[in-house]
Amino acid sequence: MALRRPRPLRRLPLRARVVGAFTLGALIAASMLVVITYGLSRNSMLGLRQESSEAQFFANAKQVQGSLRAESPDFAVLLESLPSLSGSRSIVRTGPDTWRSPSLVPSDLPAELVNVAENSNRAYAMRYRLDGVPQLALGLRLRPAAVSQLSETLYFEVVPLSEIEATLSSLRLILGLGGALTVLIGVAIGAWAGGRLLRPLANVSDAANSIAHGRFDTRVEHSDDPDLAVIVESFNDMADAMERRIARDARFASDVSHELRSPLQTLRSSIDYLNGHRDELSSQGATALDLLASEIDRFEQLVQDLLEISRPDAHGSVFERGLVNVTELVQHRVHASDSDITFEISPAAANAVVIGDKRGLAQVFDNLLRNAEKHGGGATLVEISRPDNSVRIAIEDSGPGVTPSERELVFERFTRGAAARKRGAGSGAGLGLALVYEHTRRHGGSVHVESRADGERGARFVVELPIAGHR
Amino acid sequence: MTTNVLVVEDDERIRTALRLALEDEGWRVSEAESCEDALEGFNPDNTDVVLVDIMLPGLDGFELCRSIRRTSHVPIIMVTARDDTHDIVAGLEAGADDYLTKPFAPKELSARIRALLRRSRTVDGNDLPRLIGDLEINPDEGVVRKNGEELHLTKTEFRLLCELSDNPGKVMSREHLLERVWGYDYFGDGRLVDVHVRRLRLKIEDDPARPRYVATARGMGYKLRA
Repeated sequence: MALRRPRPLRRLPLRARVVGAFTLGALIAASMLVVITYGLSRNSMLGLRQESSEAQFFANAKQVQGSLRAESPDFAVLLESLPSLSGSRSIVRTGPDTWRSPSLVPSDLPAELVNVAENSNRAYAMRYRLDGVPQLALGLRLRPAAVSQLSETLYFEVVPLSEIEATLSSLRLILGLGGALTVLIGVAIGAWAGGRLLRPLANVSDAANSIAHGRFDTRVEHSDDPDLAVIVESFNDMADAMERRIARDARFASDVSHELRSPLQTLRSSIDYLNGHRDELSSQGATALDLLASEIDRFEQLVQDLLEISRPDAHGSVFERGLVNVTELVQHRVHASDSDITFEISPAAANAVVIGDKRGLAQVFDNLLRNAEKHGGGATLVEISRPDNSVRIAIEDSGPGVTPSERELVFERFTRGAAARKRGAGSGAGLGLALVYEHTRRHGGSVHVESRADGERGARFVVELPIAGHR
Repeated sequence: MTTNVLVVEDDERIRTALRLALEDEGWRVSEAESCEDALEGFNPDNTDVVLVDIMLPGLDGFELCRSIRRTSHVPIIMVTARDDTHDIVAGLEAGADDYLTKPFAPKELSARIRALLRRSRTVDGNDLPRLIGDLEINPDEGVVRKNGEELHLTKTEFRLLCELSDNPGKVMSREHLLERVWGYDYFGDGRLVDVHVRRLRLKIEDDPARPRYVATARGMGYKLRA
């Protein structure tokens, strides 16, 4: 059961969405800051400049106004003598086409300004560009002096704004860099926050993974964050419930097996006693006894396997863990199984030692050899090699092999090969390979089945165990 | 002299089946269905081996082991249905010499009994008395003295000490000791050795926490300091 809600952005991974949101936020904040800061600074600088320019302009205009009382004022000298603020220049129009200026020509003035000044009694200021340089131009129609014929006198001043322009351009650069840096920091914080946000999820996923690998006591650390605590709590509750369930199942299997041990003890003892006295039995009686004995063997093996496989983990094992020489152990088990098998042992593997319980490992090889016996006509080759940090034991037979689709299935409980679907003489309970899997897993190793290395018909079971000190 | 085996087991069918198997070996079997029953009729001079089921109604098998050990060094084999490491170590600590897990083959049981009897009667090899520190080990008499005073070792502890004293200063692996003292081949349980060494130290060492005689060679085994 999977719960899903369609969302347009769901295709993007959560982390990318978090980073994206932070980047967008930083971008918006930074651009707003840049635009506002720039606008305010620009207005304030230009305003200040305009104020001071106007003050100067009016002072100068006053002087020019004063000079109008003279018969024929020498504007060129006058204008030259006026105080100039940061390179301001002046021009006077005394008649429709009569201009006086030491430094300006009429065409330097914006036509609009001249127009407005002509028709208004008020001072007028405007910004424009002259030769690519921003300028502030001011104009005023002077009051005509009674004696003078100069009734239409206009006074203009042009103040260059290049200094302010330079300051504003460095301000733009600084603000641009600052904005870009803010966005970068936003991305970084987004990435960090995304990681932080996902860390509890990563913890949960690690824990789930660990549980999937059989460490059922794994829990996620408690979180103080109320939002995350819900996830963590429900995950841990689920893990608790699952662990209890598994423990209950295991205990049940183990209780059943223990209850079976006492009757088995009686059966085993009685049958062995009868076996010791088989010469007193009729031949039919002896056959019946053999049937009984072989069934008891199988039953005992099944109970033993069930107990072994239902043990929650290796810590509860009867058998101690110690250093086990794998090659020695395999040779011992092959020898005990009385089979005629070729050994191929790499020199490095001869002294390969693993940490484990000798009987559990012996069971691994016994079961593999028995499996080869039952389904593959007996093992033909045992190969022991030593890849990095591990020891690899391969057991080959010349049976029908295991089809690729069955290669994982054979290690499941109570699965028997297709060739042995029907329960016949000597067929096992189907726990043998599951136990092989369980034991190798408990030893930190792995087992799989593949085709024979030489390409001939048959199965090749490969066990890999970590070498002592490399687990 | 006939060997007498006392079987303490509450399941009558198992008792009967074991009696059949043990009598087949030519041994005399007496049965007890509870610890109380076993202790009542227990005569150390008339018992060579005791077989104790750990899970008994009333007093359990551990208690029986301890009671027997207070008065006797008779070899004890405990039988468990639960092969849980805790039970096994507890049984050995209580004084059992060896253990079997149900279901076991009667052949296995007789092999274990024979190994115990062998170890409780003679010590093969070099039987000359040895002097190690304050210890005087006399394999021939089956006696160990410390500063002239006799120590009360069980047969298994005694046999273990003799084995270690055969080659003082040499490290003996658990496997070697299991084979020599208990008669196990490849699959002996190393904890048998560990628990017996612990018990031996309690008896022969001045300070068992800092053993002067039996030293542990970590991961390898034990040795007797020369």
